[in-house]
Amino acid sequence: MAKIQLTIDGNEVLAEEGSSILEAAREAGIEIPHLCYMDNLPSSGSCRLCVVEVEGIKNLVTSCSTPATANMVVKTATEKVIRARKTVIELLLSDHPFDCMTCEQSGRCELEKYAYELNVTGSRYDGDKHNYSVDASNPFFIRDYNKCILCGRCVTACKQIQHIEAISFINRGFDCKIAAAYDRSLRESNCIFCGQCLAACPTGALVEKSRIGAGRTWELEKTTTICPYCGVGCSIELHTKNDRIVNVTPASGESVNNGRLCVKGKFGWDFVHSPERLETPLIRTGEKGEGKFRTASWEEALELVASRLADIKSDSGPDSLGFLSSAKCTNEENYLFQKFARAVIGTNNIDHCARL
Amino acid sequence: MNLGEFDHLYISLQAEQNGDMIRIQVCGGTGCNAQGGRMVYDALYREISEMGLSDRVLLSSTGCHGFCERGPIVSIQPGGIFYPQVTPGDVKEIVSATVIGKQVIDRLLYVDPLTGEKQAFDHEISFYARQQRIVLAGNGKLDPQSILDYIRNGGYQSVRKALSSMTPEQVISEILASGLRGRGGAGFPTGRKWSFARNATGDRKYMVCNGDEGDPGAFMDRSLMEGNPHLVLEGMIIGAFAIGANTGYIYVRAEYPLAVSNLKLAIAQAEKLGLLGNNILDSGYNLEIRVIEGAGAFVCGEETALMASIEGKIGRPRPRPPFPAQSGLWGRPTNINNVETLANIPHIINQGSVNYAATGTETSKGTKIFSLTGAVNNTGLVEVPMGTSLGELVYDIGGGIIGGRRFKAVQIGGPSGGCLPAKYLGLPIDYESLSAIGSIMGSGGLVVMDEASCMVDIARFFLSFTQSESCGKCTPCRLGTKRMLEILTRITRGEGREGDIELLVELSNNIKSTSLCGLGQNAPNPVLSTIQYFRDEYEAHIREKRCPAASCEAMIYAPCEHSCPLNVDVPGYVALISQGRFEEALDLERRRNPLAGVCGRVCHHPCENRCRRGDIDQPVAIAALKRAAADYGANHKTGRPGKIEPVHKEKIAIIGSGPAGLNAGYHLAKQGYRVTIFEALPVAGGMLAAGIPEFRLPRRVLREDIDFIAALGVEIRLNCPAASIDEIRSQGYSAILLATGAHKGEKLGMSGEDIHGVFDGVGYLRKINLGGRVDTGKKVAVIGGGNVAIDAARSAMRLGAESVTVIYRRPRRDMPANDEEICEAESEGIQILDSTSSLQILGSKTHVFGIECLRTSSGTYDSSGRRRPEIIPGSDFCLEADTVIAAVGQIPDISFLSQNDGIALNGNNTIVVNKITLETACKGVFASGDNVTGPATVIEAMAGGERAAISIDRYLQGIPLEVERFIENKTPVDIPWSEEEVDLGARRQMPGLTSAGRSRNFNETNLGYSKETAIQEARRCLRCDLKGN
Repeated sequence: MAKIQLTIDGNEVLAEEGSSILEAAREAGIEIPHLCYMDNLPSSGSCRLCVVEVEGIKNLVTSCSTPATANMVVKTATEKVIRARKTVIELLLSDHPFDCMTCEQSGRCELEKYAYELNVTGSRYDGDKHNYSVDASNPFFIRDYNKCILCGRCVTACKQIQHIEAISFINRGFDCKIAAAYDRSLRESNCIFCGQCLAACPTGALVEKSRIGAGRTWELEKTTTICPYCGVGCSIELHTKNDRIVNVTPASGESVNNGRLCVKGKFGWDFVHSPERLETPLIRTGEKGEGKFRTASWEEALELVASRLADIKSDSGPDSLGFLSSAKCTNEENYLFQKFARAVIGTNNIDHCARL
Repeated sequence: MNLGEFDHLYISLQAEQNGDMIRIQVCGGTGCNAQGGRMVYDALYREISEMGLSDRVLLSSTGCHGFCERGPIVSIQPGGIFYPQVTPGDVKEIVSATVIGKQVIDRLLYVDPLTGEKQAFDHEISFYARQQRIVLAGNGKLDPQSILDYIRNGGYQSVRKALSSMTPEQVISEILASGLRGRGGAGFPTGRKWSFARNATGDRKYMVCNGDEGDPGAFMDRSLMEGNPHLVLEGMIIGAFAIGANTGYIYVRAEYPLAVSNLKLAIAQAEKLGLLGNNILDSGYNLEIRVIEGAGAFVCGEETALMASIEGKIGRPRPRPPFPAQSGLWGRPTNINNVETLANIPHIINQGSVNYAATGTETSKGTKIFSLTGAVNNTGLVEVPMGTSLGELVYDIGGGIIGGRRFKAVQIGGPSGGCLPAKYLGLPIDYESLSAIGSIMGSGGLVVMDEASCMVDIARFFLSFTQSESCGKCTPCRLGTKRMLEILTRITRGEGREGDIELLVELSNNIKSTSLCGLGQNAPNPVLSTIQYFRDEYEAHIREKRCPAASCEAMIYAPCEHSCPLNVDVPGYVALISQGRFEEALDLERRRNPLAGVCGRVCHHPCENRCRRGDIDQPVAIAALKRAAADYGANHKTGRPGKIEPVHKEKIAIIGSGPAGLNAGYHLAKQGYRVTIFEALPVAGGMLAAGIPEFRLPRRVLREDIDFIAALGVEIRLNCPAASIDEIRSQGYSAILLATGAHKGEKLGMSGEDIHGVFDGVGYLRKINLGGRVDTGKKVAVIGGGNVAIDAARSAMRLGAESVTVIYRRPRRDMPANDEEICEAESEGIQILDSTSSLQILGSKTHVFGIECLRTSSGTYDSSGRRRPEIIPGSDFCLEADTVIAAVGQIPDISFLSQNDGIALNGNNTIVVNKITLETACKGVFASGDNVTGPATVIEAMAGGERAAISIDRYLQGIPLEVERFIENKTPVDIPWSEEEVDLGARRQMPGLTSAGRSRNFNETNLGYSKETAIQEARRCLRCDLKGN
């Protein structure tokens, strides 16, 4: 990629041709506030927080959508720019509940962050505020559109990341809001509950039900791990408090899933804290079907399985055994498993459940 | 069809034309159809067939004539006989009298609203006569549903020319050379736009015609698409050819059903003839055009939103770059032009760019269609050369303001434009001059507003439009316009707060600089421009809870009361009079206005201008009723109050006993203050005594009113010229009000002014009114057009002049004097010589011989919103006169002030005061009346007096002067009203002396209503104060 040179806040900056002003500034270590923009996705230019001054252009321009061009002179923090950003935040706050003290998003809310950074302590506008009822009709998350700032990131995520387009904007002006088709519930829409919208939401408008009352953002410990479900091996981040999972998000940074997750990885972790979950191997003590087991160590259990497999193979031949592997395992594990069936046991009775 | 076939078609169509045919053109536009145009057409069709005239008369339904307000319109060719507002009932007569009898039907003719003259032909009507119709030329002539009619009149010749003899580059350079700029609003050069699209790389390009016309009141694009759809197609074909597009879209809102169907029909007709489709005119060029119906979102007029809508997406704009020329419809190079822009193209190609560029101004070429609406007599579509002034549009084409009211502002450019005040009437309308004053051309909406329009409410209206049309995508537009609208709504409801104006300006500027598209970027314009030019109105709403235009319902008790500077309970006393309760009526009047007898005679009664009865027939004669109550009180010696014992120890000095001083004294005495009024003259009353002649205001009436005030305990010391501030203070006065008026006549500034026999107007009147001897000659000339000039002229007549001539440099209708006074003067034999400028006074040292005069014509509009008088060279003549009275203005006489007083002055000797509190630069010293405002009216001076009295009270009581000054709401008088009891008669005439009986003496000319007449007149009141009860 060719490089172009421009000036940002008095610094000579080299940027990749085709990059936006926001990206060019970031290269130079200047972070421009933004709400509607998401990395690597087309910008909608709707929140207007990332406005900057460009010499020769009368109005402010949005740095997320304006390409950096050679010899451009950009100023990211002039008085005019700061005034405009403060107005944007003040206007957003004028239609936003002031319940940050109990909001689950507090601590990672981007609106809160910029209100703090720009020192916008409230709003001088005391007009209408939306009073939508909170939608808790799906099992996974609540939708509180009183907190929605209409940045459109959820819509972009749904469309551009997941290619579902379950949600979009409806109505005009002040009454504009995010909705599924015909403003029906998400369950009646083509939503697949992947949770991309939650990951994209900068405020507390979309919150996992599991998070409610389960801990403040800053109390949570983050652990990066691999999704226990299918063989894709998506990187996930467990947010835990006192060793209990509060919620799961796609891991940030480079990973096979690159920020994506499906409904299972995102919401299907409730088994972890299930009292019915097996924590050690069990060995049957009674008759089949009687339901009597005793706990055993892994060594004892594996010993028992190995000896029984060997017995059956010698008594009835290798083809009396069948092997079924799990889609939760990796490709490598599955490979080893079939190798074990074929080479060690000597049977081709091997299948895979790939139907989770 | 190849070129030869096309030419053959054209020639044969021309040959078909029968010059002897009578052509009746009935407007088939939406405006005329809404008023029954189709029924008129059908009736004409039947009548023509029944009379067996079908072979001699060609009846056609044409495109919009532009004069929609006067529809249905029928025009008859040859000749151009023009009948507006035709009904099916008129049809028989039109056919028998006009078609057969060749007679013009007088009763159907258009009446000029300014001159009252009937006009028979369209080219005589000022609405059309001043237009230059290039784009609209075919509207009103052609049948929009007939491609043959179009071709017969030269249609598609520009397509023939471009496709057969020009390269796309040549077309573009021709358009560039013509100087054509986008008519959608922004004015981007069309040729440059085309060359961007031409030079963009792409396997497929699109040509889009933007017909999403959305500005309230603007309908020029609709009129073109409905009335001349082939013109739009023709422009589009050339544009598409120039940029290299083979697909075109016309985006029209579905609310324009006639435009949609006429366009679709036109496309089908053109395809059939091979003027659209593959291999147009055998040139090898292909173009397919489709009509896309929009769902009526204003924002879809914005090009990126429009393209999203064509693509089937939600109509929301996106950031630019990339511009449509690089990445438009489906990511391909796209060119978007407005309907009117495209409709200019055929003319440019046919006539050449040089010809086209000859019309217009340096940077804005050609003509522009405006949709002229609002408070003008002639509304409709007007096409004028760029550079035409606003004044010409409003007055010459628009026929002036309805009902003779005063022009206040014009909203140009729709909801995205700005409100321009009268001082810009002379502004030549082109892109540059509008942008120089912070406004925009927009699509060409012109909404004219008169004095009855509240500018805050106008701003609120436009904001409510943009707010509800905001797509909701970007924060500043979605929430910012909402918050602006809420603040404006609050202000118009009387709930405005200090700081609201500043908050609106701050928010506006941020919305302008940060919004995503033009909708948001321009939405604050109506607010910013009204704040810029009419800030006083905002302040009156916020600080005084008053709507100066008496339009904001929520804060109005009744329009008459609201427009009275003293807020007199007009409906209350009128209702009392209607019951014959004159004494109580006078009592109610005097609560707010102690000079009832004076104001009943000489007030300019702004209350009557806003009387709602006036919207039906004539306003209630409020001033005459006031006089009736005052006369009753004087005749019955009732209503004289007792002395009010002072409750405060502070003494207040008022300098001057004119209306301002008297009213201030009245209100302060009622508050319990000791008030002394110092009067330099030997009589009290200021201008009321020294300026207004006896025949308008008898001295006994003035005395009666002043006695009423004095009876409360207000001391008036005559022959007491003002002393310095320090000296007055040293006499123990705690607060001082300067109410010294404007008694010094202004100089003419011409030679001969010092000759014996030349007077200044106020000086002349003062001498007469104070009983001094004035040598008035036989031939008197008065220079000036105000009330002083008329009073002086009428006084001169009474002092024995044989002839009196008033010389005024502008036309009579511009005279600032009350029209009633001018009419009375004329009936007394005074001659008004208008449009005449005086150059010098001729004479010897001791005698005046005459005045050298020049005739003037009306030139361009000046900053006062009137036409500047321009000398007609060689028109000079001498008006014989032995006495000249110069009444060209008055200024305050401030010689009594000393340098040490610290009172600041303006250039014209008026005193600088705080606009709200009327406090001067010197603490504890206030000023009100003409010495603050310059020469104004009695009631305005009185209002200033009361305002100063409120401030003085607050000053003495140690209360902040500025806050919460407004007067509380009133309770209507307890007199029920029913519709049945309203008097349906016309306004009662004021009885007066005959002109013979009055012109040689100083007896009062108006005699006043009888008791019975007053009661009848009072019953005409509609009691607006009872609304909601």
